[in-house]
Amino acid sequence: MARTLGGALAAFALASGSAQAQGRINIPNLMAERCSICHTDDLGRLPRIQAQRKTPEGWLMTVVRMQRMHKLNLTDDERRALVKHLADTQGLAPMESAAARYALERRLNTVESFKSEQFTQMCARCHSGARVVLQRRTATEWERLVHFHLAQFPTLEYQALGRDRGWLRLALDEIAPALAKDYAYGDDAWQKWKQSARAPVAGQWSLSGHLPGKGDFNATMSVTTKGKDARDHYALTLDGRYADGEKLIGRGAAVIYTGYEWRGKVEINGVEMRQVFAIDGDTLKGRMFVADHDEIGADVAAARLDGGAGRILAVQPSYLKIGEKARLTIVGSGLDGEIAFPAGVKALKIIERAPGRVVVEALAGRRALGTHTVRVGSAEGGELAVFDKLARIEVTPPYAIARVGGNGGDAPKVEARFEALAWANGPQGEYKVGFVPAKWSVSPFNEDAKRDRDLAFAGVIEAGSGVFTPNNAGPNPLRHLMTNNAGNLAVIAETTGGGKKLSARGQLIVTVQRWVDPPIP
Amino acid sequence: MKHLKALNQKARLLDKAVAEDAVEEVVAMSTVAGCTATVDPGWEVDAFGGVAGLCQPMEADLYGCADPCWWPAQVPDTIISYPDWNKDAPAADKDWRKLDSVFPKDAL
Repeated sequence: MARTLGGALAAFALASGSAQAQGRINIPNLMAERCSICHTDDLGRLPRIQAQRKTPEGWLMTVVRMQRMHKLNLTDDERRALVKHLADTQGLAPMESAAARYALERRLNTVESFKSEQFTQMCARCHSGARVVLQRRTATEWERLVHFHLAQFPTLEYQALGRDRGWLRLALDEIAPALAKDYAYGDDAWQKWKQSARAPVAGQWSLSGHLPGKGDFNATMSVTTKGKDARDHYALTLDGRYADGEKLIGRGAAVIYTGYEWRGKVEINGVEMRQVFAIDGDTLKGRMFVADHDEIGADVAAARLDGGAGRILAVQPSYLKIGEKARLTIVGSGLDGEIAFPAGVKALKIIERAPGRVVVEALAGRRALGTHTVRVGSAEGGELAVFDKLARIEVTPPYAIARVGGNGGDAPKVEARFEALAWANGPQGEYKVGFVPAKWSVSPFNEDAKRDRDLAFAGVIEAGSGVFTPNNAGPNPLRHLMTNNAGNLAVIAETTGGGKKLSARGQLIVTVQRWVDPPIP
Repeated sequence: MKHLKALNQKARLLDKAVAEDAVEEVVAMSTVAGCTATVDPGWEVDAFGGVAGLCQPMEADLYGCADPCWWPAQVPDTIISYPDWNKDAPAADKDWRKLDSVFPKDAL
């Protein structure tokens, strides 16, 4: 069980503390009283704190480090209020966080790629490059961060990619100035964002999502304020359903940081989930994941139902096979006009109509082959692929990390979820059809994996869903040298398309647990 | 390398990689968000992108790695940041269940 900072774990309903209590905390006083003990300069300012900008998670990691390592004394409510204040006043503008939202959204199979090899080797060899990209500092502060690293992790000069070069000179003379230029504290984007009007949050949102291993879903999310004393704190409910007909019912709370960073905690069908969204006018986008299994998560997009422009967020499923009647759910907002499918697609019957969701039985003919948007009244968007034969499939993600866990230890198992993404060929070339059902299996990735019998120990994949569950943590006496239940596996998807067998292969590394797991990896 | 003979599995892997000129390639690939690319040895993957060359079971030498903060973003370093992390778990191979994750849950 991970330790909490302020004592026992709070009940879920209180998971984000008391919004009102946080609202009453006088932050300038708190900072003057607690932060200034170490950080004040001769003029009574807090130059270190004031020369950095970060995401809510970035500030949380800093404040938690102050609590853990420098004995900063804060209650849970004080920590949450302080993080909120810092993210609001010294945060990142939407365009500044856009490049690395995958880290905030906990998409931990993302393979990072940076132009600078020097940056990758200096920064992203221990932690994600996103942790750096999601910060803005003055030149002095970037330099101080180098010194911090050397003091906190003194062996980093001896590690691979450290000992083969003049690490400190490189860090101070080349990396720090480059970061000061690329991730500058005084960026115009932030000045503009601070002055821009904030989008309303309360009201009704139409939400569309896709959860690997389960499928598409859509819901109405109702958001209400928590009163004047709880600025930026909201209560919310979710009412919707999955494509397989299961209801999706949720209730929880959300806090808006920096004017657009939506962080929600909701219980959906009895499972505690987190929302990491970015609001952009009358839409929002992000990911919703299981609180203690962030690898299980859904891509989410939403549009305001009240007052927003008509929009189409998704067509579920995203494809129609020629000659086969199928139900399509169009999810969006302002869906009250005429339904206009592309030429060659007929709407046979309207099954359900609401401003956020239209369900239609449709049939496609040959002349509709290809990808299209859909229109309902003035709303246009979504992706609808009409196909006859599938040309190929691919495994997504193509490379994934699962981790052993459980077995009485603190870290839960980290599973991996795979999907088969199908493509078809048309007159304009290859086009994406969408996720299709497949039969899943795993096999040794290479000769080493075969010799070490990884297949027998690393875990199992569910043939129907593509969900891989790793094996237990701990040394395994049944393995050579009692090694862990790690493995290097090929993940194989098989399906049929146009009368022929289609298959695709991905790679799955099943590895050991991590003991340090902050919100930004 | 002609005077050195590979005696164990990891050394044989290295020999093979050098022969295939694959060393640069494998070091460059390992930048999955949150996984370490410090691969001497690696925490998640070895220098060859697999798991056969890892120091496993990791519990056998966990503290030999935690103390000099070899993978400080994955394993709490006991030299500076978390000196008490393993105080209740003197032998990692037997006591690993007593080791906690160090970032508090539900902190935001």
